[in-house]
Amino acid sequence: MSEPILVVNEVTFRVGGATLVNRVDLVGHPGEVIAILGPNGAGKTTLLRLVAGDLVPDAGTLTINEIDTRSAVPLELAKVRSVMRQGGASDIPFTALAVVEMGRHPHRSDEGASPESDRLAIRSAMNRTDTVHLADRVFATLSGGEQTRVIMARVFAQAAPLVLLDEPTTALDVAHQERVLKEMGQLAADRACVVAVLHDLNAAAFHADRIVLMDGGVVRSEGSPDEVLRADLLSDVYGQAMTVVEHPTRGCPLVLVSDGVE
Amino acid sequence: MTDELWFKSADPHSSRRAWFWPIAITVALGAALASLALGAVNISTPDVISVLLARIGIGEASTQADAVVWGIRMPRVLLGLLVGATLGLVGAVLQGLLRNDLADPQLLGIGPGAAIGAAIGAVGGGVRGAIAGGVVAGVVTSFALRRLVRRNSIDPTRIILSGVALGAMLSAYVGFVVFGADRSVVPPIEFWLLGSLSGATWRSFGTAAVFLVVTTIGLLAAARNLDLIALGESEARHLGVDTDYVTTVTLIGCGAAVGVTVGVAGVVAFVGLLIPFLMRPIVGPKHRHLLVASMLAGGIFVVLADLLARSVLSPVEIPVGLITAVVGGPVFLWLLSRKDGHNV
Repeated sequence: MSEPILVVNEVTFRVGGATLVNRVDLVGHPGEVIAILGPNGAGKTTLLRLVAGDLVPDAGTLTINEIDTRSAVPLELAKVRSVMRQGGASDIPFTALAVVEMGRHPHRSDEGASPESDRLAIRSAMNRTDTVHLADRVFATLSGGEQTRVIMARVFAQAAPLVLLDEPTTALDVAHQERVLKEMGQLAADRACVVAVLHDLNAAAFHADRIVLMDGGVVRSEGSPDEVLRADLLSDVYGQAMTVVEHPTRGCPLVLVSDGVE
Repeated sequence: MTDELWFKSADPHSSRRAWFWPIAITVALGAALASLALGAVNISTPDVISVLLARIGIGEASTQADAVVWGIRMPRVLLGLLVGATLGLVGAVLQGLLRNDLADPQLLGIGPGAAIGAAIGAVGGGVRGAIAGGVVAGVVTSFALRRLVRRNSIDPTRIILSGVALGAMLSAYVGFVVFGADRSVVPPIEFWLLGSLSGATWRSFGTAAVFLVVTTIGLLAAARNLDLIALGESEARHLGVDTDYVTTVTLIGCGAAVGVTVGVAGVVAFVGLLIPFLMRPIVGPKHRHLLVASMLAGGIFVVLADLLARSVLSPVEIPVGLITAVVGGPVFLWLLSRKDGHNV
């Protein structure tokens, strides 16, 4: 396999007395979609924020393209990873186009940067997120789902080899959810590594190449969807009885909530 | 439609900007000319123009007209433009940095804080001492504010409340300095807290201008980073902005700039609040345009406010801050009453 983009090594993060992320290892390669799953409070978002460089680990190391996130300057990091976080600002006074344009900020001083290459990246990002028709609308006046797609376009325009998404499908209707999830695969096909925190187990089952199942700050299981999405394991981690069957058309696991004893 | 055209068409403010700049420059020149002509002694526009022409070596003007127009009013008008432009700029910068339309250097307490230093400086070194003291105290207050902002960054209204409390407290300290000092050396309390351009001289204008050119260039350079900060502080960092560094440098610039204006003109309230609010719908939210437009409009506003301050109760001159507060106060209340104070 090719050189990894992301290497998370024994990373631990504590707040107060609580250990939110405990000795987590994770390696991400180009062309991979990795889904992080787990119940509320499992440490998914904290792990993503550690990878993004927002939080500094108490122990362990994190590198993106061999850059240590702890010592990297923001511009350096912005060239190698893009982030879509949960609950970003909704009151942005700029037009959707201006917001997407800001995704190009890290590249303004790149060698070979030009207005044309920026426009191309912006247009393609907006096409892929179905936001071209929103270009001249003020971001603050868009619906929640439209805002999510515009932010997604900004993340695409940044064209970083590591893409971090925190629940990217929240607030989207089913069709746009599916579109965004498919775009994760498209990014991976373009040699990016996508790491997404997802709540929807079935979205992960079909769209992820690899699943990292977290619980209580540790990785409980990691592997292909077939390996991780097992009824006994899921029932235990989520504290809710689950059944796993085969998806009738997609052939991937289909997770269903069930009743009774696990 | 070609891509280039499509990109241009998506900025709804570009056509408004096209007519805004010439109009604003014309109004600025008109306001300056009116301020040179009107006052205790009215001087006709042709006479004002002949004074100005004589100063650049064309024709001659009466000594009396020259003394009034060039010796007294010109530094005052220029200082008014400078103070107004600075306050408009700082207001727009702070609103961008704090992501809060209610931010104003005076309401946040930076002006009153700077006034303490400026009043102390005035004891030792006249107007230059006041400027130096204002700069130091302005920067210190900015950093005190930064600590408050860090803790309260979630709730925009709380930042303003903290600032207002800070400002009220610091204003009281200005009183202690003024009443404790020799009245023949330190300007009176109403100069510091309500603001006035009555002390304007070529000397005070020159000193202020040197300082403000530097801080203005620094603050204008932050325009692009402020755009990104509008997306959110985390988002700006994710896009490569060193937000801690930008916040620190920008607050030093704002504190110093406000300190200079306080040193020469006291605390002129509401300019920094009102002007960016008026400019945003016209030139749009991009700071590249907003900052420059706020400078221009701020300058116009203070020059006109000063003209009113000199004229409404003539021959008595009232503090210019009373005029700016009469106009700016209601806008502040209206902004406060809007839901969350969001900058839409």
